[in-house]
Amino acid sequence: MVEAKRFFADLPPRSRPKPGKVWKAPAGAMRVRNFEIYRWDPDAGGNPRVDTYEIDLDQCGPMVLDALIKIKNEIDPTLTFRRSCREGVCGSCAMNIDGVNALACLKAIKDIKRPTVKVNPLPHLPVIKDLIPDLSLAYAQLRSVEPWLKADTPPPPDGERLQSRAERAKLDGLWECILCFCCSTSCPSYWWNGDRYLGPASLLAAWRWISDSRDEATGERLDALKDPFKLYRCHTIFNCTQACPKNLNPAQAIGEMKLAVLAREG
Amino acid sequence: MADAKNLKIDIMRSFLGRARGLGSVNDGFNFWWMQRLTSIALVPLAVWFIFSVAHLAGAPYAEARAWASGPVHATLLLALIAVVFQHMHLGIQVVAEDYVHTDWIRTTLVLAVKAASLLLALAAVIAVLKLAITG
Ligand code: SF4
Ligand code: SF4
Ligand code: FES
Repeated sequence: MVEAKRFFADLPPRSRPKPGKVWKAPAGAMRVRNFEIYRWDPDAGGNPRVDTYEIDLDQCGPMVLDALIKIKNEIDPTLTFRRSCREGVCGSCAMNIDGVNALACLKAIKDIKRPTVKVNPLPHLPVIKDLIPDLSLAYAQLRSVEPWLKADTPPPPDGERLQSRAERAKLDGLWECILCFCCSTSCPSYWWNGDRYLGPASLLAAWRWISDSRDEATGERLDALKDPFKLYRCHTIFNCTQACPKNLNPAQAIGEMKLAVLAREG
Repeated sequence: MADAKNLKIDIMRSFLGRARGLGSVNDGFNFWWMQRLTSIALVPLAVWFIFSVAHLAGAPYAEARAWASGPVHATLLLALIAVVFQHMHLGIQVVAEDYVHTDWIRTTLVLAVKAASLLLALAAVIAVLKLAITG
């Protein structure tokens, strides 16, 4: 039991975070909340550490991203994280907050029930610095499903390729993906076999193009996915769907993709 | 410490090259489908088997023999054996593929499980046939 627990739960010794600095709240702060944030600096090397920042919520915006920006601007400029739109559109600020993958800009501090707010990088990816994970392979996996229109029929000379309303409706719930990878990095199959399993984000993108009435490469796309690892490593655990900050359902998309293969075989 | 002089890089292959890997084997469907079919088939067979065994509990040996050697029961027992062992080895294979990451250990494990399932299934089949034929 102890062995199994060590095997699954423990990080390699050099990746284990150590307690770091404590950044005190200014005197007189009334509503203080502690943020425990994962820190790792490639230039310094060594083990990662967890810094504690005491934040005066009366002087801070409502979202976790507001707290991170406040820290960077006013307390500790070395804190490193990605953000851009701060409204859940760009997908840059994905991280693990209070144990759950989320967008920092959409996660309200007051919705976090535990007293301390724990902020870590997206799970199971190499860390570049602090809260910035290396998504290179995930992006390449997305690229590998060729998420663009493929058609031999030339577009009409006088305009765009048309879709019926019903055909367009099939893309709802798929096109909204902002590629934050909250889903893939919450997926146990992606954790254990992320080098070969494409992961829910890329598979949702693949299904988005298979579902597109204008696309003519459905068979080729299904051929490329029909693989025990690329697609069938999904065991329908639904972590991905639970994690998606845009309320999309990658697990269902993957299920439909398996049914599409079945339809072709049957 | 990051140290440019001692920096050792093992992989310079592009990420797209790595993501594409060896390509799709264009397979996996049959495996997935067989897992589903065997689990559906297991429902009635397992219910039948459990009921029958419960019914036979405490019965004398000769009665149990007679039960198993009837043509209908023997056929269902053979079907149960085929489905159980098929389902079991596919299931264990998935677990091995999920969690074992050293190629040779994974392959050895999967093959060993297949061999063990096959031998156990054959032994079970022979036991049933023996009863069915000798009565
Ligand atoms: S449903 Fe599939 S893709 Fe989603 S978390 Fe589970 S295994 Fe991963
Ligand atoms: S499906 Fe949802 S969680 Fe996954 S990448 Fe797209 S928006 Fe993010
Ligand atoms: S900053 Fe763009 S999604 Fe959070």
